[in-house]
Amino acid sequence: MKNVRIVMVGDVDAGKSTILGRMLVDLGLVTPTKLDELETSSAKRGVPIEYSFLLDAFQLERDQAITLDLSRIWVRTPQAEFVFVDAPGHRELIRNLLSGASEVDAAVMVVAADEGITQQTRRQALFLRWFGFGSVLVAVNKLDLASDPRATFEERAAQVRTFLDQLGMRPRAIVPVAARSGDNIVRTGPLTAWWDGPTLVDALGTLERASSQDDGPLRFVVQDVYRRDGKRLIAGRIESGTLVRGEHVTFWPLQTGARVVEISAWPHVLGSAGTDASIAVELDARVFVDRGAVGSRATDAPELGHVVQTTVVWLGADPVYAGEALRMRLGTREIPVTLQRIEEIVDPDTLEPREADVLRSGDVGVASLVARELIAADVNVPGSSIGRFVLVRGGAIVAGGRVDVVLGRARGEGATNVVAMTSSVERHERSARNGHTGGVFWLTGLPSAGKSTVAMAAQRMLFERGRHVYVLDGDTLRTSLNVDLGFSDEDRSENVRRTAAVAGVFADAGFIVICALISPFAADRDLARAAYPNAFHEIYVACDLQTAEKRDVKGHYERARRGELAHFTGVSSPYEVPAHPDFVVDTAVHRIEESASALLEYIETHVGRR
Amino acid sequence: MPGLDYLDELEARTIFILREAFSCVSPLAMLWSIGKDSTALLWMVRKAFVGEVPFPVVLLDTGMEFEEVYAFRDQLVAQWNLPAANELCPPESTVDPTLPPAARHAARKTAGLRSLIAREGYRGIILGIRRDEQAIRAKERIFSPRHADGSWDPRSQPPELWDYYSYDVPDGAHVRIHPLLHWTELDIWRYTLREQIPYVPLYLARKGKRFRSLGESNITFPIESDADTLEKIIAELEVTRDPERAGRAMDNESEDAFERLRTTGYM
Repeated sequence: MKNVRIVMVGDVDAGKSTILGRMLVDLGLVTPTKLDELETSSAKRGVPIEYSFLLDAFQLERDQAITLDLSRIWVRTPQAEFVFVDAPGHRELIRNLLSGASEVDAAVMVVAADEGITQQTRRQALFLRWFGFGSVLVAVNKLDLASDPRATFEERAAQVRTFLDQLGMRPRAIVPVAARSGDNIVRTGPLTAWWDGPTLVDALGTLERASSQDDGPLRFVVQDVYRRDGKRLIAGRIESGTLVRGEHVTFWPLQTGARVVEISAWPHVLGSAGTDASIAVELDARVFVDRGAVGSRATDAPELGHVVQTTVVWLGADPVYAGEALRMRLGTREIPVTLQRIEEIVDPDTLEPREADVLRSGDVGVASLVARELIAADVNVPGSSIGRFVLVRGGAIVAGGRVDVVLGRARGEGATNVVAMTSSVERHERSARNGHTGGVFWLTGLPSAGKSTVAMAAQRMLFERGRHVYVLDGDTLRTSLNVDLGFSDEDRSENVRRTAAVAGVFADAGFIVICALISPFAADRDLARAAYPNAFHEIYVACDLQTAEKRDVKGHYERARRGELAHFTGVSSPYEVPAHPDFVVDTAVHRIEESASALLEYIETHVGRR
Repeated sequence: MPGLDYLDELEARTIFILREAFSCVSPLAMLWSIGKDSTALLWMVRKAFVGEVPFPVVLLDTGMEFEEVYAFRDQLVAQWNLPAANELCPPESTVDPTLPPAARHAARKTAGLRSLIAREGYRGIILGIRRDEQAIRAKERIFSPRHADGSWDPRSQPPELWDYYSYDVPDGAHVRIHPLLHWTELDIWRYTLREQIPYVPLYLARKGKRFRSLGESNITFPIESDADTLEKIIAELEVTRDPERAGRAMDNESEDAFERLRTTGYM
């Protein structure tokens, strides 16, 4: 039987652990020996039998009569099986409560009759809503302290309804209990004789396990790549949807794709695998896939962008302000991000949003994160881990978050019902006819480093030798395909992406494509490589800034120095020197013709002519 | 296999955790006590890594295990071709004399583990403990960072949201990885039966007694039972109210015995 996982929330001392302890005893799940032990431990601390000690096992917990950390307890009733996660109610222990809420199917909120809804209860309910719980089962406890249990219960129940309504949540049921005396936990009792609704255990029986996401969009999250018997196996977990052997899977964010020829669940091979399955797949092509990639069908891909708007719960001891660099763990990928902006936080007292520029421990807020790398994320895909993330500061998890909007490269409404066609002419057939293979030779460097000049010279020489060659020049493309783009970081990235896509098509058609683009950011150049990973060559056209500025072919350096050009690479915008270029030509040291000849030799070697 | 059943789901989660550990923590080793839990875990390690066991599996050996346990180990090491290692634990005279007598044996294991980690520089240790075994273990995280001396600070455990684990530890410290926390004793036996995983025969009843939990031979006692097949063990556990570790002397010598053992680094 699958058990239903339930988290218990409520303020400190509302009686969460006591309810669970009492339930265990009244269901007959505690042995006489254990009950004796309990009496001894309780007597030692001068209290009547303390049912919560069944869960609160730490000495400190028993001495102070509070829960410090999550405990899990398995309970079998005649109707159902449950795993209860007992979470501490203290504000400082929110990280423990959240850890508990992130692994369950349903929530029970305990409200003490004498205290009602406290600020801490509000805060916890806010977290539950944040986790996506639409409803909660409520137990109004400690009715043994009320002079008129019925009136007190009705008053509290009305308060609970109003409060949940305000949050946009609903009560699954509101049940009166007195944990210490055991009334209405498993059986009704004298304090709740007037009550004609369910006992707590009966109400728990109506809760259900979160349903499987087999029918959702395919999300195969890659953990690792293993090599076994000459096979390359992509290991990971299906978090949504079903994967069938033989189908084509696209891996994001690099958008590489291949057909799945084997689904392995050692020692077996499977015809298909559903949600939550941990599997390893073999592909029919050696495309680049590694940890962090997410596989989907081409028709229902995750969203792509450099900016995500999120709702986060901050857990770090030190607060966070806009501008801090953090690491985001999204699925199995770890991405450097910057907290771009804090839009607002939710006030736990009024539940209203208010402006803020800082997130402190326990705050729930809306914040934007920006990344150099392209992020593949999901919004509202149940089960998918690329819709929820944690933030890491100095190695420690300091926040949890949910992706609400993906920005920065809207794919918009397009590109949903598209399946890439398989070509009727194969790449090797084109190479055989052309006498060489295709490839992308990507020249990057400072303005006036000589990229275009070297590219043009090399093109001429290759053409003379009968090669199919074409130069894609950054400035030229900006007058046509990329006419809508400016020079912001964002637009530069898009410029690179489009140029790389065109280059990839030319290369696939058998051409030697030489691209001449400043392409200042390493992340963008990596993205460019992804457009044609089998034959992409990053070539650094090296030239020191002084020499380039002296050349100043187009007079841009001078204008930038005068402050007339914003975002000018080398002056008002950074250039990230390639860390591991495939080839370097140095135009500060060599003449143009020498550089072009060196490039020619390099290209010829890599298109199968040497 | 769409529509995973309950055991499939538990297994899939364990495999996910093992793969996370292997990708994110290095060097890594697994403790294999030869009992039912860590043997089932070992079977899942082979599943996770497509037939291989990519890290050493270590027995913390006090020399006091049951003979059947040693024999079972040698047989399985050969049968599964395991990268097994033995770590001899220091003698009792070296451990904290204020501990109750049985707990001192456990402390020897803690000391053995400490010296293993120090010598091999492991940053991750995989362990087959479960939350339902014991109320202190019920409070564990799946990835549980430890101080350099192996000690555990249960009052400041890191958040563990969804399947995002904390694996960054300073040099010299390590993280304990617990891929079986979400399993129960009953789950383990049902899975062992389904998957036909080998186990030490001491778990089966002979002459009205069987071992429910295996520890050192001098501090572990059998329970009354007629369950001489796995099916009968499962039927027995479906109705029992007795705790699993009732036959483990070290847990039960004093109220805080197990907490003291664990905060100083016991498994």
